Amino acid sequence: MNRIAEVKMGGLEIVTGDMSELKTFVGSCVAICLFDIEVKIAAMAHVVLPKKTNCKPHTVEEERGKYADDAFAHMMSGMIKLGANPKRIQAKMAGGAAIFSHESETGLFNVGPRNISAIQQILKENDIPLISKDTGANFGRWVKFSLNSGKMIITSNLKKTEKII
Amino acid sequence: MLSLDDKLRDDMLKRYSNELQKLEHVLDSYIATKTIPSLNALLGEKMAYFLKKTQEAVITNFESLIPDSEKTSVMSAVYVKCEGDLHIGVLWYVLEEELKPLAEKLLEGYHLNEFDKIAISSISEIGNILTASIVNAIYDDKGCKMWASVPGFATESLNTLLEVVMADFGDQSDTVVISTVEFRGISSGIRLQMLLIQDPKESKRLIS
Repeated sequence: MNRIAEVKMGGLEIVTGDMSELKTFVGSCVAICLFDIEVKIAAMAHVVLPKKTNCKPHTVEEERGKYADDAFAHMMSGMIKLGANPKRIQAKMAGGAAIFSHESETGLFNVGPRNISAIQQILKENDIPLISKDTGANFGRWVKFSLNSGKMIITSNLKKTEKII
Repeated sequence: MLSLDDKLRDDMLKRYSNELQKLEHVLDSYIATKTIPSLNALLGEKMAYFLKKTQEAVITNFESLIPDSEKTSVMSAVYVKCEGDLHIGVLWYVLEEELKPLAEKLLEGYHLNEFDKIAISSISEIGNILTASIVNAIYDDKGCKMWASVPGFATESLNTLLEVVMADFGDQSDTVVISTVEFRGISSGIRLQMLLIQDPKESKRLIS
């Protein structure tokens, strides 16, 4: 039976082994998944915001995935500790929707596009290839990553869609 | 006998609980004097309201605030973000299937074949006007100046809607104070719900 690790908002989970899966639900937040398929190690963070501000020096254990920059550092160090090779680590991501109308034009939130952009930038700076993504649009997504197949399955109950990336 | 730690914790809880009660009392007066008259005029009927709860919640654990029955329900919602002396978020929402009757009532009985732009626009307007009633009440009472964003409309699960709103507060605080209010038409039974979200540090200004 598959072991499913659920990642809560702002959370981060690292799993190992063929039968492991990571799962979360995102709206404007982004589910970023890093994985080394050869040694079967994967991490998923439910990123809420692009960057940790100076007024928050500490990260509580349950919120290691809250900020993109912080989450990336925790994911990489955790995976490497478990035996992942940084040169083999790849990424997939989903989410970052602009749920409300006029978000980008009015600056109402626009947090989804900002999260996407921040994560892409971090991956680029660290030479981690972003293999595939399903981002943007205006709906929430269930995101499931299987370490066995290396595939990310994205479903929307509202839109009744399923996408595999 | 209580230890010193227990006493301190009890004192803190009592004080905190009193602060939330005071805040609820203040909001209640704003709604009664400003929001309800606006809503009565907009909908052309007397509306009742029920301030269900005011509570503080950890942003990343917001799901605990949503009753299980509403977690995956699809809602039509309008969000207005108010910034300035205070940062306040107001989310107005109805069940998706209750949106059309509400929009028709707002449009004075205009029959809507489907949910079109006029309906979305009318719902956005109601969110705008009712949020302004609260912003004005705060200004009258505390002198705090705020400006409101263009209302954003969305149809999504309450979970998804709230995730966006919580993320918006995540930059400045780890927790939020949320007040839940339900409005109901006395004769039509039409329902509208409101969540008023504040930074806990800022909400203290409303009870000072």
